[in-house]
Amino acid sequence: MPLSFETNMRLKFPFMAISLQLSMIILFGFFVGYENDGNYVQQINATNQSEKSLELYPLFQDVHVMIFTGFGFLMTFLKKYGFSSVGINLMIAALGLQWGTFMQGILHHHKKFGIDIKSMINADFSTATVLISFGAVLGKTSPVQMLIMVILEISVFAANEYLVVEILEATDIGASMVIHAFGAYFGLAVAGVLYRPGLRRRRHDNEQSVYYSDLFAMIGTLFLWMFWPSFNSAIADAGDHQYRAIVNTYFSLAACVLFAFAFSSLVEHRGKLDMVHIQNATLAGGVAVGTCADMEIQPFGAMLIGSIAGIVSVLGFKFLTPVFATKLRIHDTCGVHNLHGLPGVIGGIASIVAVALGATNKTTMANQAAALGTSLGTAIVGGLLTGLILKIPIWGEPPDQNCYDDSVYWEVPEVEGYSHYFHEHDDHSQLQPEA
Amino acid sequence: MGSKYPKSLRISLPLWALILEIVFILVFFFFTSYEQPSEKSELLKTYPAFQDINVMLVLGLAFFKASLWRYTWSSVAFNLFSLAVGVQWAIILDGFLFNFSTRKFAINIHSIIKGTMSTMVVLISSGATLGKINLVQLIVMTLLEVTAFQGTKKLMQEFLKMYEYESLMQIHIFGAYFGVAAAWRLSESELNMAKEKERRAVASNLFTALGTLFLWIFWPTFNSVLLNSPGEKEIAIYNTYYALAVSAVTAMSFSAATHSNGKISMTHVHRATLAGGVAIGVSTIIIKSPWIAMVLGFSAGTIAVIGDKYLPRFFNQVIRLHDTCGVHATFGLPALLGRLIYILLIAGHNGWTNLSETGNKILISAGYLGLPMAMGLGGGVLTGLILSFNIWKSPHEAKYFDDQAFWEVRPSMNLL
Repeated sequence: MPLSFETNMRLKFPFMAISLQLSMIILFGFFVGYENDGNYVQQINATNQSEKSLELYPLFQDVHVMIFTGFGFLMTFLKKYGFSSVGINLMIAALGLQWGTFMQGILHHHKKFGIDIKSMINADFSTATVLISFGAVLGKTSPVQMLIMVILEISVFAANEYLVVEILEATDIGASMVIHAFGAYFGLAVAGVLYRPGLRRRRHDNEQSVYYSDLFAMIGTLFLWMFWPSFNSAIADAGDHQYRAIVNTYFSLAACVLFAFAFSSLVEHRGKLDMVHIQNATLAGGVAVGTCADMEIQPFGAMLIGSIAGIVSVLGFKFLTPVFATKLRIHDTCGVHNLHGLPGVIGGIASIVAVALGATNKTTMANQAAALGTSLGTAIVGGLLTGLILKIPIWGEPPDQNCYDDSVYWEVPEVEGYSHYFHEHDDHSQLQPEA
Repeated sequence: MGSKYPKSLRISLPLWALILEIVFILVFFFFTSYEQPSEKSELLKTYPAFQDINVMLVLGLAFFKASLWRYTWSSVAFNLFSLAVGVQWAIILDGFLFNFSTRKFAINIHSIIKGTMSTMVVLISSGATLGKINLVQLIVMTLLEVTAFQGTKKLMQEFLKMYEYESLMQIHIFGAYFGVAAAWRLSESELNMAKEKERRAVASNLFTALGTLFLWIFWPTFNSVLLNSPGEKEIAIYNTYYALAVSAVTAMSFSAATHSNGKISMTHVHRATLAGGVAIGVSTIIIKSPWIAMVLGFSAGTIAVIGDKYLPRFFNQVIRLHDTCGVHATFGLPALLGRLIYILLIAGHNGWTNLSETGNKILISAGYLGLPMAMGLGGGVLTGLILSFNIWKSPHEAKYFDDQAFWEVRPSMNLL
């Protein structure tokens, strides 16, 4: 067995994860504090500030649900890869939110800083980039590789976000560009470097869904869909901007669902719906409306953006993904390019158009275009570099025949095949009274 | 017990449930009233938090217990049932024990939140007795346990001068030890017959992950909802958030480290990722920087994995105790750890200069730790004894962990 396929993680993974975790604790010890210490019941100002911060808490909870349940279950569609989708998703997000808090805080403050609910929301956002990229390489990597990707990707993300927000002064309230497009193209670049010709010859046995695994994935879709308005409005300025962000996202998503269903039926054989399209393309509207969510684009503008995103997303799944896998040698397991990449780019372009039409005066067309460009550029460069590091054959990635299989890294219940995927009540003999 | 055929609950269950519900309705009719709404905004401020708690208990804890492959229906449905019974009883007891000044006591959003949280002790304990008792026994257990917990709360507030917030944070310790003690009485005889049904399937594991995630996500609300000052609330949220994040990473690392092939166990992910939130419960407002919360989360994750890995063997063989959902490792051990750290923090806070005062505080904290644990264990043993009477038509051991004993199951559920 070549070194690279040494998948026993007993030493590698715990060592790496625990040392990263301990470094986080040390970094937090030196650089992160609380803005208040809870002892200021008398100080009116501080109490007001706390109350203001707590107003964001319900929005934070919604984002939290999206990150952990939404993204986690969205990826459970593979028949033998549910544990990794949900479990590794949790690990990535739990580590990523600590690293994200630290990176964003240190870039914006340059010294010891305090946290509030808003920085927790931003930390959750920063993990979303890694979760999106995780979708592109799903099933082909080891948990150790994911740990490395968390650290590298969030660093690049924080730098890009700083560039877009502080230096270019572009707006990207729902983060179509800095999170969705960034995460997708980062993931695609990594997947391109890690491309495995062995997986290409024929469709892998495990790279399929079964009835119930698709249903589990719908749990993720629905939670993402429900809470997307919170995602796009969580860090908007309170008042008008936040209100517009919620309304626009709501209508964009609604329009997107109809177009996703319609086009899924249109492109599939005999007009049947494809569950993959329903799971993913229905969300594209939320991604695409992100950047201009808080601008005065009117509900019909939002619906227009959502419709375009839905169409592009379904067409991408149908025609672009196969081309990517065969011609460009990029294998994108979850189709993140169609759910996050293309709609993210649409979001960026939509914001340029919206600025041209005078929907906001906070930014200029050039700034928005530059933001889109830097997001894509840093994502691809960062992704290629990360891919090269992940390609070093010491991280215990699974051999080709064991891809998309939980049992490489997880203790899986010993049932024969996957016929016991769901419990069966076929054994009625036990119910009979004893003779 | 002659037959293995599950005894019919046709008469006893409806009888018990209906009588109980009628009694509840009568008590509510005579003794409760709605509070005059003082400020509308006040309600709207607390309502999202109440929703979070409800999601945790109804969805989170229900699916958390859905890990047995033949027992998912019962896990989810019985959880809802005992919550519904428990909340009403808890609100009644709460009214009589704590707020009974005039002839009637008022119901407001806070009393509902407190009632729901008090009922959580039952939902935790029923994780230990999961699959071993029927619905009638569950009703009895719910009533007894809520009573015992409200009594303990009263004791803690009256004699130990604990704040209401602190006394409600004893939920985990009380619930876990009550459940373990009750399960001990129930599992005296051999449990080997049920091993087969105790298996976990892939899908049921994913359902459990769903439950765990909802508990994990909303835990900051749980730890902060009862605090009044916004500043304290904020700190409680931050501390819980970081402790949980760290315990998630730690749980997975130690899970791989303790497996001979370095594989991660989904069971550990279910149980140990929550340890940080449990452990930080009592001390969440006295921790003033994130790194302390993170260290606490780290140690809680570690202890939960190790407890889950090695203790059940000891439990099963030496004291013949069977804890179905591992509530001891999930809630019991981390809560104990949290208590110990609380004592350390109190000691550190007061400094070592004024030794007598510090010693005094430590003693009181030890009392805080001892009382709910003792009450939980005592109440649990008693309840277990009562539950093992024959009159409840308890299921035969061959029928443990099986939905078929309680549900109408159609022959071919297999859709694959």
